[in-house]
Amino acid sequence: MLKPTIGIEVHCELKTNSKAFSPSKNTYGEVPNKMINEIDLGYPGTLPTLNKALLDLGIKTALVLHCDITKEIFFDRKNYFYPDIPKNFQITQNNTPIGRNGYIEVQYDGIKKNIEIEEIHMEEDTCKSIHENNHTLLNFNRAGIPLIEIVTKPVISNEKEAVLYLENLREILLYSNISDVKIEEGSMRCDLNISLSETDELGTKVEIKNIGSISAVAQSILYEIKRQTKLIEEGIKISEETRRWDDKTSTTILMRKKETGNDYRYFPEPDIPKIIIDDEWIKCIKKTIPMLPNELKEKYKKLGINDVTIKSLIQNMDLNILLNELIEENVNPVLCANILTADILSYMNKRYMKFNELNVTKENIKDIVDKLDKNEISSKIAKEIISELLENKGNVQDIINKKGLKQISDSNDLLNIINNVINNNIKAVEDYKNGLDRSIKFLMGQVMKETKGQANPKITNDLLIKELENRKNNNL
Amino acid sequence: MSNYLDLSIKEINKKLINKEIKPLDLVMECFNRIEENKEYNTFITLDKENAIKKAKELENKEVDNLLFGIPIAIKDNIITKNLKTTCASKILSNFIPTYDATVIKKIKEKNMIIIGKLNMDEFAMGSTNETSYYGNVLNSYDKERVSGGSSGGSAVAVSRGIVPFSLGSDTGGSIRQPAAFNGVVGLKPTYGRISRYGLVAFASSLDQIGPFSRNVYENALLLNILCGKDEKDLTSSDTNEDFTRLIGEKIDGMKIAVPNFYMSDVVNKEIKNNIENIIELLKDNNVKVEYVDIDYVEYAVPLYQIIALAEASSNLARFDGVRYGYQTDKEVSSIDEMYKYTRKEGFGEEVKRRMMIGSYVLSGKNAKTYYYKALKIRKKISDSFQKLFEEYDLVIGPTTTDFAGKFNEGINDATKSFNDDLFTIPVNMAGLPGMSIKIGEGKNKLPIGLQIIGNKFDEAKMYKLASFIEKEVGGKIC
Repeated sequence: MLKPTIGIEVHCELKTNSKAFSPSKNTYGEVPNKMINEIDLGYPGTLPTLNKALLDLGIKTALVLHCDITKEIFFDRKNYFYPDIPKNFQITQNNTPIGRNGYIEVQYDGIKKNIEIEEIHMEEDTCKSIHENNHTLLNFNRAGIPLIEIVTKPVISNEKEAVLYLENLREILLYSNISDVKIEEGSMRCDLNISLSETDELGTKVEIKNIGSISAVAQSILYEIKRQTKLIEEGIKISEETRRWDDKTSTTILMRKKETGNDYRYFPEPDIPKIIIDDEWIKCIKKTIPMLPNELKEKYKKLGINDVTIKSLIQNMDLNILLNELIEENVNPVLCANILTADILSYMNKRYMKFNELNVTKENIKDIVDKLDKNEISSKIAKEIISELLENKGNVQDIINKKGLKQISDSNDLLNIINNVINNNIKAVEDYKNGLDRSIKFLMGQVMKETKGQANPKITNDLLIKELENRKNNNL
Repeated sequence: MSNYLDLSIKEINKKLINKEIKPLDLVMECFNRIEENKEYNTFITLDKENAIKKAKELENKEVDNLLFGIPIAIKDNIITKNLKTTCASKILSNFIPTYDATVIKKIKEKNMIIIGKLNMDEFAMGSTNETSYYGNVLNSYDKERVSGGSSGGSAVAVSRGIVPFSLGSDTGGSIRQPAAFNGVVGLKPTYGRISRYGLVAFASSLDQIGPFSRNVYENALLLNILCGKDEKDLTSSDTNEDFTRLIGEKIDGMKIAVPNFYMSDVVNKEIKNNIENIIELLKDNNVKVEYVDIDYVEYAVPLYQIIALAEASSNLARFDGVRYGYQTDKEVSSIDEMYKYTRKEGFGEEVKRRMMIGSYVLSGKNAKTYYYKALKIRKKISDSFQKLFEEYDLVIGPTTTDFAGKFNEGINDATKSFNDDLFTIPVNMAGLPGMSIKIGEGKNKLPIGLQIIGNKFDEAKMYKLASFIEKEVGGKIC
């Protein structure tokens, strides 16, 4: 049986204010060639500066990926000629990557596995080339934006592991505020190495570059396995080459055959002195790491939030931050999580909005959850209030008053309504007498219908049972 | 025509304060002297219009420092905003920078007046100034001979009295050697003393900008305003001191080392004798002078060929015709072809030779065999000097093994130009300060340079000794 072995290289743009080795701003989508200076253009006489935020985020990445941190680091020059690299060398780390030997845990089909990370290193991004007909346009806004490259060992066995690894990596980098990890904006880019072999010895490696989405990673793995298997079975030797994923045809396309060993003439960057990373520095960075997805999942589970809700919560970092803040303020976590994922999240997703762009405030959410918790409102009313808030802003209590959504909790009022309902549903009462408990639910529903959901569910329930028992015992 | 430029800086300053003269008088004198010395070919670009404009502006300003209104000329590998900066290369023959080097900013802040850009070896690669795209610079003492290099224009411009100051750069001896060949004072400061931001890089870990002057005191004056930490150069150091402060102090009790390596038979006899006379002079003045060995110093030249050229091959990669500078006129069918012709046509032979060697020593397995090994031995040279400075204040010896040679003597010998720098290269390898001062002339009427090497950041001490010797041997003006 041919067994695939996969390694993944991920480049992520780091969330810093300025570029890695120049004071220009780190931006996306600005007017081309505006966020640049002489350093970004590789002008004669310029020298690199060093953005401390690059080092901070490098250390942070090493920490969240469980890497050993290299205590004495320097940068290297990777020399090659290409128009997208203004100095014709890239400042990167070849000799002393900031982190080594890390891992990310993945779980699927009952399997738990650590995807081992070989190394992570810091480097500068190239400029963006746009190829048009017979010429190439260069946008240097991207030149020098700080990157972290994360390289796994060749340990990934299938597309499921690859996807989970990337999803987890993405969540971790997002939650720890290291990168925006927006694949569509190019702030996270994936390259794959894949080889097939019947034995433990690795087969010939094929590289797939610049894959545009996580689902395309899975597709390209499956496609390559099929392509390479067919070739091997036909007795054709796989050649070492670089391919790219083509979304239109859902195939990989040959870019270039590997020439005998690229010679990048690496050597230590003489313009940036060595950097010592001491324990104090690492300790400071540790303090800035918030709870990461895995820890959050554990926490939510303990609080009694169900798995489906947890899954949709984790997908939105803003809502997690909000939920955790509200939990700090002692709101009911389960009710709160339900409201956030059901009502708020679907609204946000439909409109591609962030929480802070909504009309609903954190205070609103707190009010609603508290009132739900105290049974002052029903969940149906809660929904109504939320949709009112989303449309028109406001104060929860005001909406309740204005719309007459206040709960009916007066026993006499409720008893009147209950008796009306019972009298109009003799069949259900008979069912109850014959031991059919579900008729309680039916009758409750009728009460709610009658009161437009304003009946206090708890009191109504108690009164209803009491009245039914009464009729049963007295055979009325 | 007046001759105010022959006065000392202090005297000129007094006349400026007293309004006896105006900065414009000095500038006009400069341009007259440039005209008189045209055949020496010291300048690549003159900035007459701006210099005159600046001089006129200064007439209404208070003379607030010793260098106010003083003309200066700049080696053409130091970036000057809106003033063509060619590195004496065809590939930058049309390059007009958009910014000022940090040293240029400092010079402008002190209201010195930049006269123009000085001739040099192409990209500072050479020791005779014969590799310049703009032609040879003639030796100030003998027009048949080379000026030395790579800062040939910087040395000759001061030596001919065209300007009292110039800036050069020194990667393996490019300030000290032409200073010796033309009888002026040239200092290569401690690595990190002066910001390299805006110095077009040759070998980043060795390059330093430094001052040329007519005498020791004035050299220290110029260094005073050039040095200091620059956030744009991570290798620069935070230093702030008055380098003139020890000048005139007694030198007795100083301990000085003379490396045997610097006094071997490769040295011209006459030069050696002159150095020995200085040693005697010092001993007579209660200075302890001893001959010493410096471990590994004999490897400095091959190390230079590896480290400097490796760094150069990378530093010069950016000249590709894409963003600035010369681009080939040839019809090309690919970007690689454009690179190839641009660089083939744009660079001179010596520069290409050095980039080839540099690429070779970094290539594949060679990086370990040559480059990384060289870094290790470099550290050992540095350690040897450090050990020496635990016992001695300063090191002295000849700046060069010989007098300035005649034209075309070494141009076809790829290794000769490196041997010219036999005594200057170790200083760059160890990141130390080194200077050359004139101590006499040979029978051929050519100047002889004494090299003084100090511990890191010990320039003030070097100026103290240099100034003493200068006075004893009858230096020009003080």
